[in-house]
Amino acid sequence: MNHAGENNLDRREFLARTGKAGLSIAAAGSLSYLLYDTAGSLKKADNLVTLPDYSVGSISGQTMSVVKGSDRAASVNKAIGLLGGIERFVKPGETIMIKPNIAFATPASLGATSNPGLVAEIVRLCYKAKAKQVYVADNPINDPANCFRLSGIGGAASEAGAKIILPKPNYFSNTTLAGGKLINNWPVFFEPLRKADKLIGVSTIKDHLRSKASMTMKNWYGLLGGRRNIFHQNINTIIAELAMLIKPTLVVLDGTEVMVTNGPTGGSVADLKRENTLIASCDMVAADSFGCSFLGLEPKDLPYLGKAEKAGAGTTDYNKLKPIFDTTS
Amino acid sequence: MDLIQRRVRRFESIVSLCLLGGIVLIGLGVFVKQFDYEMSQFGMDVISTENSTVNEEISLTSLSSSSFETLLETEVYDSETLYEKINGKAPFYTESGFRELVTQRFVSKSDEKLWAELYVYDMGSVRNAYSVYSRQKRPDGSVIPEMKFAYLGGNSLFAAHGQYYIEFVGSTKSKELSEAMQEITRKFSTENIVADVEIEQMQLFGKEDLVAGSIKLYLNDAFGFDGLDDVFTGQYKIGDDIVTVFLSERPSSADAKKVVQQYHKFLLDNGGVDISASDAEIKIVDFYGTIEIVGTTRQYIFGIHEAENRQAAEQLAEKFSKRLNEK
Repeated sequence: MNHAGENNLDRREFLARTGKAGLSIAAAGSLSYLLYDTAGSLKKADNLVTLPDYSVGSISGQTMSVVKGSDRAASVNKAIGLLGGIERFVKPGETIMIKPNIAFATPASLGATSNPGLVAEIVRLCYKAKAKQVYVADNPINDPANCFRLSGIGGAASEAGAKIILPKPNYFSNTTLAGGKLINNWPVFFEPLRKADKLIGVSTIKDHLRSKASMTMKNWYGLLGGRRNIFHQNINTIIAELAMLIKPTLVVLDGTEVMVTNGPTGGSVADLKRENTLIASCDMVAADSFGCSFLGLEPKDLPYLGKAEKAGAGTTDYNKLKPIFDTTS
Repeated sequence: MDLIQRRVRRFESIVSLCLLGGIVLIGLGVFVKQFDYEMSQFGMDVISTENSTVNEEISLTSLSSSSFETLLETEVYDSETLYEKINGKAPFYTESGFRELVTQRFVSKSDEKLWAELYVYDMGSVRNAYSVYSRQKRPDGSVIPEMKFAYLGGNSLFAAHGQYYIEFVGSTKSKELSEAMQEITRKFSTENIVADVEIEQMQLFGKEDLVAGSIKLYLNDAFGFDGLDDVFTGQYKIGDDIVTVFLSERPSSADAKKVVQQYHKFLLDNGGVDISASDAEIKIVDFYGTIEIVGTTRQYIFGIHEAENRQAAEQLAEKFSKRLNEK
């Protein structure tokens, strides 16, 4: 074989090999392009859910009530009665979701979670209004089953006829708050919300190391999924966005015993102060604005209130709503 | 020519192998990296309650008493997962040297409604543990005599034992529960012997008129000023007034003077009015109606914080200054 013959062979072989290599690269590149997900690991936008608006029509002078009394059951009956009665909020045949604060697996006596007796009474009220089904649900910080059990809420709510919904991975769906900075394609505990016609929030008044206060608006944090702790760095924004995202039927703010220090977990009954006050409201910004006074705060001390008001979620000037004050005695 | 062809083919083989090896390494890198991603980008998992490795040095399950047994599993949390247990309270510990939390519940053998959860925070040092203990101390607690830093508060027990901060939270106020918590805590102390390390600066607080159990340690950001770290405070009863004294030992007298100047400026920048004599070394500031006093003695910063009564504040500051000079 002469030198020229080898070059011909090498050139042909070279071209053939180059061609094959080029085809391989093109095939690999095409496959990569087909598999490439520009959104990364996030779900596609068309899988997002929209949370329903559970609010009822407003009635001037019946937006917020404040009741003094030591018995929570009596107080909540009175407070809701002053707003038109449970029948205004719950219609026969409806499915109601009650969202208490069941964040921790701690005893009810600490006041870190909603009072079981209060939750049970609200369940009973809903059935009195001939609700078809009442769910009690939360996505706690600690182990969910332990939280429902050890807080006493699981037992009390079940005895009153509610069905408990514990969080499971497939119960979460992603949602985006229009105009929101933080709630963007983020999982929420949607399964109980999907089933519900009405939504009632039941929360305590607590000191909170990060946000200064934990009341009705902060209570919705328990509907977030994922690694929601990252929002602690933007605590005021996330609470305000939750108030924009969630439009409940009614919120009940329990100030019978207020955790005035060492919140949000407390740890001693010495952290609690008895105020014997319960607030029911269709405006959670107003409810929180009133409730913060029991922590020695004013609405201007809680930036999330101002943010939520500016976004149209409610008013910090609760007097404008002409709240109804009464006692159980 | 065979030789040249063989050399060319060997060269091509080597290049091919290198390229393939590079692709394999890239693939391995992608495979490894996908297990180490920023979870905040994802929103799928509910919060994990899996326990991390149990600290071999602390075993809480052995602490069962004659009348109380363990309930549910031991839980262990590190600085990444602490929020899963105590949520918004986590920074209080993580910013104070927190290393690990181990918790265990105990329940009465005769009454399941009587239960309590023991929290043992490893704060890494005696000072850190004392700091978180003292800053959360509830008023009106009853002292537990056989423990150096411990008290009962209604349904709970709180203690600092060496590097550990202990909270024992009961389901209700109950004599039986309280006795069980004390027994279990004593057992923990016995099984986890710690060096009896004195916090020296606490000895600088004179006992006369000192409100018992009032000494607190702020590791950082005392009184909202980031230049004030490692600050002890104690309360004194002067007549009808309770006056808070503070003290911090600095590396040198020069550093003490510098920090005092900065703190004095901080008070004035935030609306305080200097009411001290013009040449006074000890500065007195009227801060929105309360009195702040700050000065130095050797390597110590001392002062009075938020006093209502100027006379009582100045009297105590002078007394404290003399005491520090004598040490």
